[in-house]
Amino acid sequence: MLICESYHVPKRLEEALALWADAPEGSRLVSGATDILPWAREGRAGDVEIPALIDVTKIPELKGYSCDKGRIRLGAATVYQDFLTDRTLMTNLPCMPYCAIWFADDQIREQATVVGNLVNASPVADGTPPVVALNGEIELTRLEDGAVKRRTVPVVDFIEGPGRTTIQPGEIATAVTVDSAYGYGGSFQKVGQRRSLVISVACCAALVRADSTGTMFEDVRLALGGVGPRPIRLRDAERRLKGERITQELIQRVAESAADSVGSRSRKEYRRDVVVNFVRAGLEEALANQPEIGAKFKNFGETENA
Amino acid sequence: MPKIDLTMDVNGRKVVKQTDPHKRLLDFLREDLNLTGTKEGCGAGECGTCSVFVDGKLVKSCLMPAAKADGAKIETIEGLARPGSLTPVQQAFHKTGASQCGYCIPGMVMAATSALRENPDAGIEEIKERLGGNICRCTGYTKIFEAVEIARDVIAGRLPETALDEDATGESFIGANVRRLDAPSKVSGRLKYAADIKMVDMLQMQVLRAPMPHARIVSIDTSEAEAMDGVACVITADDVPGTDGFGVFVHDQPVMARGKVRHFGEAVAAVAAEDLVTARRALAKIKVEYEELPGVYAPEDALKPGAPVIHDYAQDNVIKHIPIRKGDPEKGFAEADLILEDVFTTQQVEHAYLEPEAGIAYVDHDDVVTVLSPSQNITHHRHMLAEILALPINKVRFIMSAVGGGFGGKEDMIYQGMLALAAMKTHRPVQLNFTREESIVASAKRHPSKVHYKMGLKWSGEITAIEFDMLSDGGAYGMSSEGVMRKAAILSCGPYEVKNLKVDTKVVYTNNTPSGAFRTFGGMQAQFATESMMDMAAEALDMDPFELRRINMMRIGSRTHTQQELTTASLDRVLDAAEAASRWEAGAPKVRGPRRGDLGGPDTRQPCTLGARIGEPTVTPTNDERVAS
Ligand SMILES: Cc1cc2nc3c(=O)[nH]c(=O)nc-3n(C[C@H](O)[C@H](O)[C@H](O)COP(=O)(O)OP(=O)(O)OC[C@H]3O[C@@H](n4cnc5c(N)ncnc54)[C@H](O)[C@@H]3O)c2cc1C
Ligand code: FES
Ligand code: FES
Repeated sequence: MLICESYHVPKRLEEALALWADAPEGSRLVSGATDILPWAREGRAGDVEIPALIDVTKIPELKGYSCDKGRIRLGAATVYQDFLTDRTLMTNLPCMPYCAIWFADDQIREQATVVGNLVNASPVADGTPPVVALNGEIELTRLEDGAVKRRTVPVVDFIEGPGRTTIQPGEIATAVTVDSAYGYGGSFQKVGQRRSLVISVACCAALVRADSTGTMFEDVRLALGGVGPRPIRLRDAERRLKGERITQELIQRVAESAADSVGSRSRKEYRRDVVVNFVRAGLEEALANQPEIGAKFKNFGETENA
Repeated sequence: MPKIDLTMDVNGRKVVKQTDPHKRLLDFLREDLNLTGTKEGCGAGECGTCSVFVDGKLVKSCLMPAAKADGAKIETIEGLARPGSLTPVQQAFHKTGASQCGYCIPGMVMAATSALRENPDAGIEEIKERLGGNICRCTGYTKIFEAVEIARDVIAGRLPETALDEDATGESFIGANVRRLDAPSKVSGRLKYAADIKMVDMLQMQVLRAPMPHARIVSIDTSEAEAMDGVACVITADDVPGTDGFGVFVHDQPVMARGKVRHFGEAVAAVAAEDLVTARRALAKIKVEYEELPGVYAPEDALKPGAPVIHDYAQDNVIKHIPIRKGDPEKGFAEADLILEDVFTTQQVEHAYLEPEAGIAYVDHDDVVTVLSPSQNITHHRHMLAEILALPINKVRFIMSAVGGGFGGKEDMIYQGMLALAAMKTHRPVQLNFTREESIVASAKRHPSKVHYKMGLKWSGEITAIEFDMLSDGGAYGMSSEGVMRKAAILSCGPYEVKNLKVDTKVVYTNNTPSGAFRTFGGMQAQFATESMMDMAAEALDMDPFELRRINMMRIGSRTHTQQELTTASLDRVLDAAEAASRWEAGAPKVRGPRRGDLGGPDTRQPCTLGARIGEPTVTPTNDERVAS
């Protein structure tokens, strides 16, 4: 049970930063609360008494998104359901809708934020691989001598391990900035035992842009989650695909080489199999999902379930 | 705790209230506004019994701090229809029989309503997706999906309003779709389960549970907890005035651990306080000193010489052994052309009813100790509690509240005794609502079992003898174990006439969570072994599995394993129906025609897909979608 002395809902960023800077030891920031409330239960943290909870979702600056020079700045209050309802986000971040549809359920997605997922830094978070594939950076804001100061950190570096990030005391994550991948095909693979409310054993985000004839890989982005303490960007696999002809054989070869990226100690053999299938299926589905291009070779959609 | 002020529009009415800052929207609705149609099935976002609309979006109110909803427009199950009426979705749930125990139903109706609001033309795949956050343990979902589709079509005008009416019933109710009498109370959220009921001056109880599976209790110090403001009483086994002990067959379980704990999560002490937070804080102040004892966690180990003894009365750790003998198994095996042997194991299973255990006890004006709870066995509970409380039977009363799913898991009196003791000690009503975690840790499970199976058969397929030896894990207390073993023994060799058999079912104590009643009561474990064995025998004999079953099935005049002569039997018809329904390809299991006829038909479950709505333009339009420059 989560018990708090006070619950603040600041309406301005400066107010939130000041509250957070002065908050008594043990206080917590809150966005969707979908991680923090289940955390304070029997079997996890148990009963937790917290001096202050500071809810940052009602700050106007943290809401909505903006676009600039091929990058999209997602305000910290952006929730997963937005990737299924906002056309601009869907087309510019084509792996996100597929991630979102596998993420929790429709109701939790109305609350769960991208930022909360990143700061929570679960090794099996679904949100990290697609953000990493989109070259995501997290924006961290603090007060310094009364002035608002910001820094940005690439998400691959931000997450250091299970529950560990480089966020500093007094900092609030205010946005996540990602590449626009307009025109790319996107996909997301996840092992789960039912269609909703499953935490991944492993997951994979893929983004692919084929040339206008649909025969060459122009750009490829691949990231894995759930196979190690931190999210993994498959740079090597990306390099081996970029500029090459699209063939089943190449995809299979690259997929097999990705198995070595599995760092988890538990169920390692299983995870290696899953990764190979995920990279292959991820690339194939992303190719098939690319708007206006479409697949140029047969046998898509017959991927086996991992 | 300083309070916070909240203003909301709840079901069209303005609400201004002070509340505690830690409350979730779920608590605020249920406790502060008495809107108990919204339920707490898990408190962790997993079940959907708490779904409500906040500013038009469906959310799980157990995951939303109430302060977050300040200024918002809230719609709960109570607000969907005007009093006395039902929405088309609610009417459709009523019509199709989509509500059984009803505990998931308010949330399910909310999710269905949300699905149709978000997309009035949603197809079945999208409906399934949008209801994915809501769990039902009773219906199997089919009737729920059917209801949503009917409601969708009525709302869209594709079906007449009369499609929501009850089907006409002809001569007989059998085979007719008859509506449940209690469904309107369930689809509207008006039915009160135990956790929904409030009494004047009521205390909240919380339970301190054992942090280890087998230990001697050296001491319990409750003084600090008792001294806290707001704590009305703390109870332990010492407060039991009568003969402590309950159980369905053997009364081996104390109301609270007495002298030692026998499983992880066993109740050790309980606090009744003015509110839940005080009760939780008081638990942390109770000091218990344990001396850990060696434990037994596998039934085989419980039978070994020198194994730790869990109950003094049962030095061999055996709860019950049920033997059945029929004919001459030795002779039967000697006549067999083929003898098969194998081992079949089944695991522990949680019932996972959507309603966690909950109850209220009070001492009424005539000194009758009254317990209201979703107990599946109130008469037996009443008799046992009278002994425990040393009261005449007419001074103990049980009221069965609406059961939000039981499946056998609410047959054991695991908390009602504590409630009664606290009510007697304080003379105030006391309520205890389990959390989901507590329900899983403390309630009985399906017996894990291991069956050593030996079957003798003729080449003709006739079974000549069976040896069936089951060892079950009863866990720390006897509960329904004896009955489960009896049932497992009676049903052991299935609906087949076996002339010679030797059946033994045995259940032992371990330090695992107690095993108890669960749908089929031992039958499932036995049938898993027998039916698997039948299929393996069919394979070994190169025979059609249906054929093998027909050769051995019980008929009119057959003698059951326990020597009852049957005057009716229907297995022949059951097998015919099953064969037709499964589009069975005749032949031995290893024979396959060129095409499997049994897969992919209209009556088979399609694989799970997701993303039915991606790519559909039900999303916000925008002039310029392209951001990349
Ligand atoms: C039933 C259920 C199913 C789930 N399914 C999935 C799933 O499929 N995939 C998945 O990845 N996750 C899943 N989750 C986990 C959770 O929903 C996500 O991790 C979610 O994105 C967390 O976001 P939030 O806004 O709710 O975070 P919160 O709970 O509000 O916060 C999470 C953490 O981030 C901190 N924080 C919040 N906002 C900020 C900020 N602006 N700056 C700095 N720190 C901040 C908080 O202090 C806390 O430590 C599930 C959770 C539940 C309950
Ligand atoms: S999802 Fe809220 S109580 Fe289960
Ligand atoms: S009717 Fe759905 S859980 Fe009982």
